[in-house]
Amino acid sequence: MLNEEALATHRQELRRGTIVLACLLLLGRPNYGYALLDTLEKSGFEVDANTLYPLLRRLEKQGLLTSEWNTDDSRPRKFYVTSEEGATLADTLKRDWHALDTAFLSLKDES
Amino acid sequence: MTATSTPTDRYVAATLRSLPGRQRQDIEAELRALIADAIDDRREAGADSDSAEREVLTELGAPARLAASYSDRFLHLIGPEFYLDYLRVLTVLLSTLVPLWFVIVALVTFADGSPAEVAFGGALYSALETAMSIAFFTTLVFAIIERVSAVRTKRTTTWDPSSLPEVRDKRGFFTELIGGVVFLAVIVIALVLTQTLGAVEGPEGAEVGPVASAVWESGVLYIALFFAIASISSHVLAHYTGWSTANAIANTVFVALFAVPAIWLAASGRLLSDDYFRAVGWPEGTNVVAVVVIVVVILLTTSDAVGGWVRASKKRRTR
Repeated sequence: MLNEEALATHRQELRRGTIVLACLLLLGRPNYGYALLDTLEKSGFEVDANTLYPLLRRLEKQGLLTSEWNTDDSRPRKFYVTSEEGATLADTLKRDWHALDTAFLSLKDES
Repeated sequence: MTATSTPTDRYVAATLRSLPGRQRQDIEAELRALIADAIDDRREAGADSDSAEREVLTELGAPARLAASYSDRFLHLIGPEFYLDYLRVLTVLLSTLVPLWFVIVALVTFADGSPAEVAFGGALYSALETAMSIAFFTTLVFAIIERVSAVRTKRTTTWDPSSLPEVRDKRGFFTELIGGVVFLAVIVIALVLTQTLGAVEGPEGAEVGPVASAVWESGVLYIALFFAIASISSHVLAHYTGWSTANAIANTVFVALFAVPAIWLAASGRLLSDDYFRAVGWPEGTNVVAVVVIVVVILLTTSDAVGGWVRASKKRRTR
């Protein structure tokens, strides 16, 4: 039986890339870190705050997201939105995801 | 605790401490908003503000880790790429130099007239000290390699199999390293033993060894030993970061810094003791040994300097 730690590591490895894709898709509409975290959790993506926040900055640095400070509310918040490049990447990743899904399904048929 | 610094203030400060200045302001503003949002959310759900704040910060985890994640910095001194080599080099150096050093010190202090247990204790202490310095410098060299090569791999855009080192290269390197260390140790031991145990009675009744006492007592030989150890370190460094023209130049300068004074000392007759060679009945020995020393120094240093250039040019061709 796999121990809990190893199990958690494997699941985390599998989820890692999906968070990037989920962010790129969700940020088609501008949003800020905490709300995004909330949305991700509610949609069933498990992600920690301390993973998500640095990730958003890395994606911004890579030009996949752009950001803007929004001062309309009482608390200024940094809003991120997916750039054109980010949307292209999201399309590619989504296609890959579907291809993988198909591949897994075909594995199931054979076994 | 005072009212001036809340846990959030302290958390944010601890996170920002290790971040580069230009990112700080923006990360601080964002992090504060994110924490405040999370706290508000919990309070709306019914938590009191103190425990909400504590929970939010606990979830964010250790500030150092968060900061490392923001700055893409690594949290290790020597990573997996070099760790095994680090262990190997450390083992080689510790297992050869420390016992040798122990034996030398014990013999020399014992021969100097100290009782056996004092010689033993002194040698043990000195050997431990040597082990500590070896461990420190090896770790330092590898920590530098880790950082230098991190820069290098970030810059390297393409990699192809032709840039792989020869398989024998690695074993050859370790053999060379062990050989170099043992050679150095043997020279040091031989020198120390002949100078102390092999000393004979000179004209004024004082004990004289083959090395002129002025040189022996001046500490010049320690500098030479330092040069040898530093040279070995720089070879290890160059081996891992790849021999470049810069390495070859540095190596040549290094070798020259050692060779020129060494040859000058030997050629001007300051290195060896005339009294010693007269006392052992070989008066012309001073000149003969001086010539041998000069020839050996020239051969060793030239081949070392040339070797550096050969490695550097090989590296260029395979790229």
